[in-house]
Amino acid sequence: MTTSAASPPVFRTCPATGRRVHLPAERLIKVHAVSSVVALLVGAIAAVLLVLTRWQAVHLLPADWFYRILGVHGMSMLIFFIIFFEMAVLIFASTVLINSRQPALRTSWLAYVLMLGGALMVEWMMWSGRADVLFTSYVPLRADPLFYLGVILFAVGALITVGIFFASLVIAKREGRHEGSLPLVVYGAMTAAIIAVITLVHGAAIYMPTYLWSLGLMEVDPQVYRMVWWGLGHSSQQINVAAMVAIWYMLGALTVGAVVLNEKISRSAFVLYILFISMASAHHLLVDPGMGPAWKIVNTSYFMYMAVLASMIHGFTVPAGMELGMRLRGFTQGLFDWLRRAPWGDPGFSSLMFSVVVFGFVGGITGVTIGTEQINIIVHNTLRVPGHFHATVVSGTAMAFMGATYYLIPLIFRRKVAFWPLAKVQPYLFAGGMLVFTLSMTFAGSFGVPRRHWDISFSMAPFDVQFSPVVDVLLAVVALGGLTAATGAFAFIAIAVASVFFGERLETIPTGRAVPGIPPGLTHPPRHADDVDERNAALHAVSRLGPAPGTLVLVFVFLAAFVLYFYVNWKVLSFLWRIG
Amino acid sequence: MSNPTNARRSDDPLPAGQRLFDNVFLLLALGLLIMLVLYTGWGFWEIYRLPEAPLP
Repeated sequence: MTTSAASPPVFRTCPATGRRVHLPAERLIKVHAVSSVVALLVGAIAAVLLVLTRWQAVHLLPADWFYRILGVHGMSMLIFFIIFFEMAVLIFASTVLINSRQPALRTSWLAYVLMLGGALMVEWMMWSGRADVLFTSYVPLRADPLFYLGVILFAVGALITVGIFFASLVIAKREGRHEGSLPLVVYGAMTAAIIAVITLVHGAAIYMPTYLWSLGLMEVDPQVYRMVWWGLGHSSQQINVAAMVAIWYMLGALTVGAVVLNEKISRSAFVLYILFISMASAHHLLVDPGMGPAWKIVNTSYFMYMAVLASMIHGFTVPAGMELGMRLRGFTQGLFDWLRRAPWGDPGFSSLMFSVVVFGFVGGITGVTIGTEQINIIVHNTLRVPGHFHATVVSGTAMAFMGATYYLIPLIFRRKVAFWPLAKVQPYLFAGGMLVFTLSMTFAGSFGVPRRHWDISFSMAPFDVQFSPVVDVLLAVVALGGLTAATGAFAFIAIAVASVFFGERLETIPTGRAVPGIPPGLTHPPRHADDVDERNAALHAVSRLGPAPGTLVLVFVFLAAFVLYFYVNWKVLSFLWRIG
Repeated sequence: MSNPTNARRSDDPLPAGQRLFDNVFLLLALGLLIMLVLYTGWGFWEIYRLPEAPLP
């Protein structure tokens, strides 16, 4: 490690990338990442308990504990795990990636303490049974006031960190740390930060009055609560999307030397996210009778499809950039030689590919379909909804975050990745389990199985509901997929904890030879040859399908699957909703 | 990230689109405005113009 000449030394130079690393920023990245993994552990334990309850033959938890643990799972995974990691990404992007420093260090630590204190307060309230209100905490379900206060503290801490992120960009520009536009990965992080502001404004607008309501000081209208709360609840998942796509671009470059196909197109897609993705919150209100059809359709279709377009752009440019990067490095045979000879043993690369494919093919297609107003009526409150968002948030975002972690451990924590053989198979275990889980959950939902429900046999209900017998099989497969994915999550946690706290220290990263515990993208950086521009021109001239023909073929497979799924859903709706 | 396809000479003037995309705080304001007008504001309006249901 080298340090700057300033005293005391506050920068080091990364031996692998040559970037200046601000040591106080590095400490902040570490604590946010470790907090994120701890939240993942809590959420994963809750996940195991939940799948073993929804598996009809096991039905592990009693009703009160099922709903309690469901709330713990939602908050720990969707809020604490994801947002702690995103804060680490924001600090990483605004310092390391543009050779800059973290300003306002005391305020940064105060923000972290607020987030940690808020998260602990919320966990305490939920585990002690004083906040059995699920993730959505819909009014008039009432939790202990400390629950709402904990959420507010966490959100305020996150908002401060986001504010410091913007300040970092201004300071980096003023200090001349980067010239011209922000690098694309930082631009993606900036997109996530803007969506975070939109999200947290809605969080403050609803949780502050709800806190006062819980103290008996004011009234809160349930319909207003639902509308404003989803400005927080769904938009928070759009922060994930932007952060995940930024990580896709970063991992593509690190693992296979991906190039940016077209800066303008990729940046335009990020801007479409900023302008239009947050209004997807309206999907959750599509069956609410209080909201009119014009509001629903404008917010979920006309404008929101601009954000869908953005996702489809990234869904093309990321793999196409990887394909072109591989072809520029000589893997030019056929349509898919670049894919076959990609570094599938690199957990950063395999995580990236699984994240892109499952997010697009499963999460994306189901999301756009069930977010259509007419189709939503056969989907609302069924298992198809968690089937969709586990494909986006877990298979997409969490998988990408795991892949990034395999690179952050040697680059930021400066340690070898522990249990390297396990790390190489972990993405397969996690992604495979989640794929089985999300598909079987989606099919079970197609039979009308409700989400967030302890007992679908309705044994104590005054009415009789019979599901197809295949539902029991599907719910058993949901459990098996969930347990496999949870095993992958526990493996990741074990690897991360062992690496960070007990891993072998790395003073430098050797190149040119494989070293167990260091991803191949660092030991064998995917550099391009000096004649890369000539190769690029030749690739553009040769193929009638463009410089990335394999990806283009995959795009048409994706579009065919999209059309088929969309058509089948309208067909099913026509059975239910006959006209004439 | 290397990018052989998008080389630009350093003395070229920045295109207007790029200047717009580089304006972080303008994008922040636009993102907030669109959400607050089309989703939140319009949503409030939808809810508050609902006629009160008569009790049975």
